[in-house]
Amino acid sequence: MSEPYYGEYGGQFVSESLMNILQELEVAFHAAITDTDFLKEYHYYLKQYVGRPVPLYHANRLSEAYGTKIYLKREDLNHTGAHKINNVIGQILLAKRMGKKKVIAETGAGQHGVATATGAALFGMECTVFMGAEDMKRQALNVFRMEMLGAKVVQVTSGSNTLKDATNEALRTWAKYAEDTFYVIGSAVGPHPYPRMVKEFQRIISVEAKQQILEQEGRLPDVVMACVGGGSNSIGMFAEFLEERVRLIGVEAAGFGIDTGKHASAMALGKPGILHGMKSYLLQDFDGNVALAHSISAGLDYPGVGPEHAYLKDSGRVTYACVTDEEAMAALTELCRLEGIIPAIESAHALAYAKKYAKEMTAEQVMVVCLSGRGDKDVHTVAEYFREK
Amino acid sequence: MENRIVAAMAALGGKKEKAFITYLTAGLPDLEGMKELILEQEAAGVTVLELGIPFSDPAADGPVIQAASYQSIKQGTNVRSVFQAVKELRKEGLGLPILFMLYYNTVYHYGLSDFVTSCIDCGVDGLIIPDLPKEEQGELSAYLERADAPVLIQLVSPVSKERIPLIVEGAKGFIYCVSAMGVTGQGGSFHKELREYLSAVGSHTNLPVMMGFGIRTAKDVLPVADLIDGAIVGSHFVNLLMESGYDRKVAGEYCREFKRELHAVV
Repeated sequence: MSEPYYGEYGGQFVSESLMNILQELEVAFHAAITDTDFLKEYHYYLKQYVGRPVPLYHANRLSEAYGTKIYLKREDLNHTGAHKINNVIGQILLAKRMGKKKVIAETGAGQHGVATATGAALFGMECTVFMGAEDMKRQALNVFRMEMLGAKVVQVTSGSNTLKDATNEALRTWAKYAEDTFYVIGSAVGPHPYPRMVKEFQRIISVEAKQQILEQEGRLPDVVMACVGGGSNSIGMFAEFLEERVRLIGVEAAGFGIDTGKHASAMALGKPGILHGMKSYLLQDFDGNVALAHSISAGLDYPGVGPEHAYLKDSGRVTYACVTDEEAMAALTELCRLEGIIPAIESAHALAYAKKYAKEMTAEQVMVVCLSGRGDKDVHTVAEYFREK
Repeated sequence: MENRIVAAMAALGGKKEKAFITYLTAGLPDLEGMKELILEQEAAGVTVLELGIPFSDPAADGPVIQAASYQSIKQGTNVRSVFQAVKELRKEGLGLPILFMLYYNTVYHYGLSDFVTSCIDCGVDGLIIPDLPKEEQGELSAYLERADAPVLIQLVSPVSKERIPLIVEGAKGFIYCVSAMGVTGQGGSFHKELREYLSAVGSHTNLPVMMGFGIRTAKDVLPVADLIDGAIVGSHFVNLLMESGYDRKVAGEYCREFKRELHAVV
């Protein structure tokens, strides 16, 4: 069995009702990922259903504009339009193996909800997705997609009506029905073994990227960059580079700006706390209540962060930066115009910091940026943003 | 001085009486009103009072306590103001044992050492922390070794099974058995293996076994009255208070009635 902690972060801060369930899950997970038949099935679906491997694309015009050689890991080209499906295929295959017939999930932007609804349809499982009322408004299209896929979307109207509250509601439901229900967590958060499990099922991002950059450049990149909300695309993007001499940078959402108090940068200003079954950096108020995050991107609008990221920050192995809504939207527009790719607003945060960081790099150096998802879901938000400007 | 919870439970055990614990969301209707409700319950003969410290993300609570918690936070209640209120009550002579039910982040944010010190200073006798299972208690337990420290109440669930011996070992005060999977306030739908589970807990501990979650009246616990040492009422009581506009008389009468019915069957 694996260690539930990353340094002082992680753990299993859940009700007693879930402790046996987590134990059962951990045993099943370890058996699965050391079972070649399971891995074969996982990789079969990644290839034939998700459409992997996805390209590592040398973004020529973007490189010219930013002044360093930029490669984009095209997770936006996955089936359902983001990296979320990698993890969902893994977890649903595990659920199936454990004999569970029902799955539940939380979702913010709706990408993980859509991916879970997709996986549930694919394997004939009953699916319920919890989504904050505010996010249902922002991401109405994804709500409709989940329903088309046969999932039941439950509107959550408690607290701030966003991802953290949807996660609370999913945890409550799981605590009640865990005996026959599998909780598919979408980010590298939650009680052990979820952060570890999500990392394993997202590791494919860097397994491919590493091989692809060696093929195209004959060497490892100088910098690898990814956006961080809970931290699933970033932990997958970093996994295979952690032991290499590569600079790793995670980019959080600074919302209106770190100084305004309206942001989602848990690691810039948070202090360690406990939420959603884990100890990690957490935005909190003076009384220890969880502070509301703000980001234009629903997927980054989360007050906490995965525990391994907290550990990687403290150890100094990964640097965490943040960019504002405005910077992200500018980068989004630039990628559309320069490369003909509409990125998700989440991914645009990584692009925005890539632009800033590229100024410290030479034209010959190489940076890989994780383009975690496509922006179709955000078109409405983008339109509104520029209309208001 | 002996811990008030331990003393109160022992006193009942001696008389072969059942214990009755009620839950209040702290700060409702306001701190003064809460203090009056607590005094009323002491007068009504409640064994221990559980005060829920409101938290922004009460993941172990159902809709009733979530709403109460949200309301109380909006009114500005925080753990410091509740500590202060308890301290005042003790000064006024309150002898009723007080338990804080709160989420671990509230304790952690306050600082573990400072928190335990405040409990001792203000007269808080025990803690229930639903998101702090046995495996995660080490850090806090180090501060609870002092003789005058509050007791950390251990929770057991219907699916705890082989974990029961681990959980009850070294436990103090009483064992809190939740009657069902899930969150507080689901109203009467107890776990299908409730009797087996309560017997299993009883066979592993000499501490009083209390049952909570989804209990509304004493009748709800009749089928298992022989296996438990008392009952805890949370959401139903919170709801009753809300609906009655926090009427002291309603609160007192409910507690007396529950106790009467509970003892009528024993």
